[in-house]
Amino acid sequence: MLKIIEMIRILARNKLKSAYNNMHSVRGWELVKTAALGFAGLMLLVIMYFGFHKVLKYLEEVQLIGPILSWKLTGMLLLMMFAMIIVSSIIISMTTLYYSFDLKFLFSCPLPRRAVFMDKAADTVVYSSWTLVVAILPFVLALQHVKHLDYGFAGVYLLLMIPFVMLAGAFGIFFSLIIMYAFPSSKTRDVTWVLGSLSVAFVYVMFRFAEPEKLLHPDSMQIIAQYINYLQAPTAPYFPSWWVTKAMMAWSSSNYKVFAEFAGLLAGSAAAVYAFMAWVCDFFYMRGFNGAQGSPRFRGKRSKFIEQKLIAFAPSLNIPLSLYWKDRLMVLRDAKYWSQIILIFALVSVYLFSIKQLPLDTPSVKNFICFLNITTAGFVVAAIGLRFTFPAVSMEGNCWWLMRSTPVKLETVMLEKLLVSLPSAMVIGLLLITVSNYILEADMFVSVLSTVSIIFITTGVTAMGIGFGGIFPDFRIENIHKLESSYGGFFYMVAAMAYLTLIVGIEAWPVQVHYMGGFSGPWPRWRVAGVVLCTVGFILVNFLAVWLPWRAGVKNLYRHE
Amino acid sequence: MIKIDKLVKTFGDFRAVDGLDLHVKPGEIFGFLGPNGAGKTTTVKILSGIMRPTSGTVSVAGFDIDRNPEEAKRQLAYIPDEPFVYPKLTAWEFMRFIGDIYRIPEEEQRRRIPELFELFELSGVSDGLLEGYSHGMKQKLLIASVLLRRPKVVLFDEPTVGLDPKSIRRFKNLLGEMAADGAAVFMCTHILDMAEKLCTEVGIISGGKLIARGTVKEVKAAAHSGADSSLEDVFLKITETENAENH
Repeated sequence: MLKIIEMIRILARNKLKSAYNNMHSVRGWELVKTAALGFAGLMLLVIMYFGFHKVLKYLEEVQLIGPILSWKLTGMLLLMMFAMIIVSSIIISMTTLYYSFDLKFLFSCPLPRRAVFMDKAADTVVYSSWTLVVAILPFVLALQHVKHLDYGFAGVYLLLMIPFVMLAGAFGIFFSLIIMYAFPSSKTRDVTWVLGSLSVAFVYVMFRFAEPEKLLHPDSMQIIAQYINYLQAPTAPYFPSWWVTKAMMAWSSSNYKVFAEFAGLLAGSAAAVYAFMAWVCDFFYMRGFNGAQGSPRFRGKRSKFIEQKLIAFAPSLNIPLSLYWKDRLMVLRDAKYWSQIILIFALVSVYLFSIKQLPLDTPSVKNFICFLNITTAGFVVAAIGLRFTFPAVSMEGNCWWLMRSTPVKLETVMLEKLLVSLPSAMVIGLLLITVSNYILEADMFVSVLSTVSIIFITTGVTAMGIGFGGIFPDFRIENIHKLESSYGGFFYMVAAMAYLTLIVGIEAWPVQVHYMGGFSGPWPRWRVAGVVLCTVGFILVNFLAVWLPWRAGVKNLYRHE
Repeated sequence: MIKIDKLVKTFGDFRAVDGLDLHVKPGEIFGFLGPNGAGKTTTVKILSGIMRPTSGTVSVAGFDIDRNPEEAKRQLAYIPDEPFVYPKLTAWEFMRFIGDIYRIPEEEQRRRIPELFELFELSGVSDGLLEGYSHGMKQKLLIASVLLRRPKVVLFDEPTVGLDPKSIRRFKNLLGEMAADGAAVFMCTHILDMAEKLCTEVGIISGGKLIARGTVKEVKAAAHSGADSSLEDVFLKITETENAENH
């Protein structure tokens, strides 16, 4: 046992050293980017703090039930956090426990298996929970301020989080252990990823559809006694989230005996669960690990693809059509894409539901929101493009040599990547705009303008994504998420935002004219000139947004060695 | 078939290839030898169109690789030292992909791909994803894809790494057959024994410069080595002398 603890200590020290070296190796542009991202993150936390503060202050001031309300909200939030860590840890543990790049090395070292397992379990807990712990911190600080507590309260929250996230992570780790033991195959990971994404999407959509904003309107519940009963009932009493809530409540009222009971329950449960896992992992872990190293059983069919049938009719299109079916198969067979597509559909549903819930009554305000919706929908398309379109060129990865040594023009490669990305981006863009317009009962002018705009914007940001992908390719990338946070990803998003701002800026004038009396009646000269100017500006901005990054991308790819 | 004229490739201040002149004729198997970092892979990458020369010209089957890359690439096949292939395609799909890119008629693909799989003992796994293939299996698949398209110029960079002895024997036979059919074969290798037995000509590159070329016999004579000395002895002698002179 002591040997295992010693080995875990060595592995942990190695991780801390790597993290320290990583931080100290950040220089130049990387430092600027990290500082900018850090600042943006901090600002987001500050905004969240003020938002939570406003809500909690309002709740606290509700007569009689105010203090119960804020603790109820805390309990709900922690329960949600508990569920999210479980789902994240299921997805993450599949990679950390069975597919980490250093596992083969670790297993070749004279390390006890339990030490390796516990090291990877710790990775899983940290990766699946740290962002949530940080994201909830503004809420805790706001609660502390509203309830006039000292900073010891936030410290207690952080301390309680250690056993709390360990317990939540243990669920995911144990789930992976069992499922990989029962189905020791690399296919299990793919299925788990898709199921995990479905669960996250389900929780996300259900939470939004439950209309949590109604908690702020106690009067909306029919019987006040029923409401009070609901508030007083513990939120999942056998879950660690409720133990944390009770411990925090006890600390806030200086009831240290109750605090010690619940904190002890948390710490004791975490210790017991991990001791149990360390005991059983020897039995479960290796079978799953061995199974995960095999390749999935897959038998492809030898049927003719639709693109190959088209080649028979248009032999000169053999290259783009061949590249297209190749990329189509690669995407369809990659579980990572599927899990992200599920999350995108959840995002789209929540987006449209939020539009439906907007408290708008007058047609002019609704139309105005429809116009602003062009920017928001464009931003969503650009953000999705950052994940799917921008990395498309780099996704050729180690196989880029094939594109360079075969008689394929790189313009054709980029065009084909655009054709792969554009239809799905267009569906999302059109869905966001047309359904929003329908929900908000937009008039004909705004409907046509926003629909035409999103068609251009989707084409523009998608082509920009491919262009920037060509300007900043990285064929050695192992983790696609690193591309999103690369310089190229940053510049792509900045360029997309600038483009969206210009487009909406150009369209602002015709929309204003439409509101002020419409385009009906005879047109004076200035109006004709304005419309011509806006149309030319619109076409020019779209052309430049596509052409400049595209041309630079092609040039750079030809130069890339 | 392959014509390299005053080829220079620099990376910053470093001259990876320094004024290389070479000519490989149809039917010839040219062995390109040299120590690590001598410029072999850079040369073969320029020949295949993956890299562009800093100066000088390279033509493949009469087409300048820099000015007319598509036509030149249509005539050549390249196999890198690391056989990277698309992991989510099956071997059958990969071969069809190459066949479609090179406009090989569908009937011919359907007839020849199974024959090639049979030849390289890949038939049993040809409908499985390539992510499950070993290094050697991927190498065999790439060699099969070269045979599918029947190129005029074949470029190999360490072609036998990862191949089992049976496949190496088969590969050697195929090289001879390709050359007999009129293809120019350009091969970078560290296996000097194979180069000695197979290559009609060899070239030794060191520090980016071609320091010896000719038939194995001519290279031995130029190095003042006896007829019974191996190509390995000659290679070590030449490259060590070159290193000593450079220092």
